[in-house]
Amino acid sequence: MRVAGWTIIAVVLAALLLPFVLPWSYDQIDWDGVRAAPLAHGHLLGTDSVGRDLLARTLIGTRITLTVAGAAALVALLIGTTWGAIAGWVGGRVDEAMMRVVDALYALPFMFVVILLMVVFGRSIVLVFLGIGAVEWLTMARVVRGQVMALRQRPFVLAAEAAGAPHRAILLRHVLPNVAGVALAYLLLTVPQVVMVESFLSFLGLGVQEPLTSLGILVHDGAEDMDVAPLALLVPGGVLVALVLALTSLGERLRDWLAR
Amino acid sequence: MTLYAVERLGVAIGDISLVHDVSFVVEPGRCTALVGASGSGKSLSSLAPFGLSAGATSGSARFASHELVGLSEADLRPIRARAGFVFQHPLTALTPHLKIGVQMTEAAMALGGPRPDRAALAAMLDRVGLSKPEAKLYAYPHRLSGGERQRVLIAAAIAHGPSLLIADEPTSALDAHLRDAIMEALARLRDDGLGLLMVSHDLALVARHADRIVVLEGGKVAESGIADDVMTRPASDTTRALIAACPKLHDPAPVLPATGRTLIEAHGIQVGFRAPGWRGGRVAAVDGASFVLAEGEALAIVGASGSGKSTLARAIGRIGPCDGGTVTWRGEELPPRRAMRREHRAGMQAVFQDPLASLDPQWTVAQSVAEPLRHLVPELTAAERRVRAIEVLEAVELGAAFADRRPAGLSGGQAQRVAIARALVASPDLLILDEATSALDVLVAGRILELLERLQRTRGLAILLITHDIAVARRLCHRIAVMEEGRIVEAGRSETIVTAPQSAAAKALIAASGQAKGDGAYHPLPPMTIA
Repeated sequence: MRVAGWTIIAVVLAALLLPFVLPWSYDQIDWDGVRAAPLAHGHLLGTDSVGRDLLARTLIGTRITLTVAGAAALVALLIGTTWGAIAGWVGGRVDEAMMRVVDALYALPFMFVVILLMVVFGRSIVLVFLGIGAVEWLTMARVVRGQVMALRQRPFVLAAEAAGAPHRAILLRHVLPNVAGVALAYLLLTVPQVVMVESFLSFLGLGVQEPLTSLGILVHDGAEDMDVAPLALLVPGGVLVALVLALTSLGERLRDWLAR
Repeated sequence: MTLYAVERLGVAIGDISLVHDVSFVVEPGRCTALVGASGSGKSLSSLAPFGLSAGATSGSARFASHELVGLSEADLRPIRARAGFVFQHPLTALTPHLKIGVQMTEAAMALGGPRPDRAALAAMLDRVGLSKPEAKLYAYPHRLSGGERQRVLIAAAIAHGPSLLIADEPTSALDAHLRDAIMEALARLRDDGLGLLMVSHDLALVARHADRIVVLEGGKVAESGIADDVMTRPASDTTRALIAACPKLHDPAPVLPATGRTLIEAHGIQVGFRAPGWRGGRVAAVDGASFVLAEGEALAIVGASGSGKSTLARAIGRIGPCDGGTVTWRGEELPPRRAMRREHRAGMQAVFQDPLASLDPQWTVAQSVAEPLRHLVPELTAAERRVRAIEVLEAVELGAAFADRRPAGLSGGQAQRVAIARALVASPDLLILDEATSALDVLVAGRILELLERLQRTRGLAILLITHDIAVARRLCHRIAVMEEGRIVEAGRSETIVTAPQSAAAKALIAASGQAKGDGAYHPLPPMTIA
């Protein structure tokens, strides 16, 4: 638990601050040090096949991956919570219809849809946000709907209604604050999923564009050179694995703690 | 001969001594009851010697010629197996995916006994008064009612043939209707020579079935003796308080405040629910109920669980579904639930059964209490709301010290007082009390009833009381309406209903209170099948 927390803090701080102190930027080519070994030519972790500093690229890749993941998870939180809360609160036919929409979207082969979007509209980081967020909200909507339905029957919600509170006030003051904890736990669980999806899309060459990079692209490029420069695969891969594990374990701990 | 003898038992958790010097005996074929309010140490006294609850024991507890105090868990296990145990929550104690017969077989074989055949299993279920035992063996737990499940658990607890049965609050999670019947089933097991140790907070209920009573308070024995003696000539204040706490059906008629003009009139209320299944149709929960309630008047709607009384109250209060009928408030018809405006809500407030679920866990007490003011009296500032909230907290005997606590730090009785304060803060004319005392300990419930009586007198409140306990209804209410299967089958003055009930439903409720004859003695119920 503590390890997971510190891992996340360390990775985020490093991705945010370290690029400012590094002598190399992520897109700067060191013509003298193409495919430099670690510690050679002033590159701590060496350079890639066109002479760019691996550490700088990993840090910027982590930034991009975390940004995409965070933004997509927030999109999921926003759409999912709104959709689920409305369905759970209104109930009846509206709930039926709204949840069938969710079921239908679940049934779509999501990767295929995202790839299709990329092919039709071209590669763009915004599209990656939208595509991933638009799919990840489905689980959030189901979780929130279930919570809202359970809360709706609680006497304190009935008491608020008897106290003359309008529906909006009940939702905002009683229902959402009591859903927030669970939603936050699932948000934390969504982030690593999105990290994986983004990395996968980038690995396929459908994510962000050069010279920008993400952990997925770095792993992809590193995999091509793994026999000569194993660090190019191991460093971004290690950061990715550590991030996903830490976020997942933190999210699960939070979820279990809330379910007590 | 004694089966189980406890002498000078002490139980301590860490440095805190929770039970001291408790002594009692259980004889074969007899029932001893440990009675006390919550926190009196009654469960600890019964379970700790068997290693079933936390705490280090001292003193002596002899069972089946073994000294239990000081034994290790491994040594306790074979001895514990010679006793049977029944706990409070029948709804969660059976494994949902196994048929009753399978679970009974497991229980019977737990000690390496022979595999019982079908007839033997059916006989076990029959012994605890379960109807159609053969068929029940093939039923899953969800097919059985709460009362039936508790009977199955009792049967399972004695399936391996123990000589002592310990029942810890065996009826507290059940409907009042069923409590007496389950106690009766338990007490009947004595006839086969089984010794019984019962633990309960409900003195009146236990007293009708036990031979000896041990009254506990604060981890000490307050009084012990033969059941009849303790009930008729209580020697300690604790016992007297426990006896006084439960309302009697035949106390002198209470003096109730005078009533005024018609306040609320309900006519032909209909509420239906969708039946389970994908084309289930609708089931009527309330089917054409009508009544009139005057200012300052208290009306009780009594009935067994599932009779539709809560649904009716929520339909009237416009906090639940209502499919048909009209509700008139001071001569003006109330709009449907979604169209209720502030001025409609201001007149009536509700208090619910589960006090802790009634308060938003994230809000402080003062915030919860002030909530109706925020919406019903919007001209008040936040500071004024807080002042009013603290005033009403004082009226329910809590005071400003509670204002900034959260529900997690409140006891059940305190939380219910907060819920009552919230209902009163905007000075309503009508209070809907939906089983407001039935989730509480006997003593706490008694104090809440006293509070309600005082508020009724001082504030001129009209009360719509929903309860399954007809004695509570009589104590607080001018009139009683008896509900059965969604209809009001009988209504009239409380005295008339209690002394001369006409309908079968009213008679059953009076019988369930165990006080039908009015002489305070126990009168067994006729054998009844519990649906």
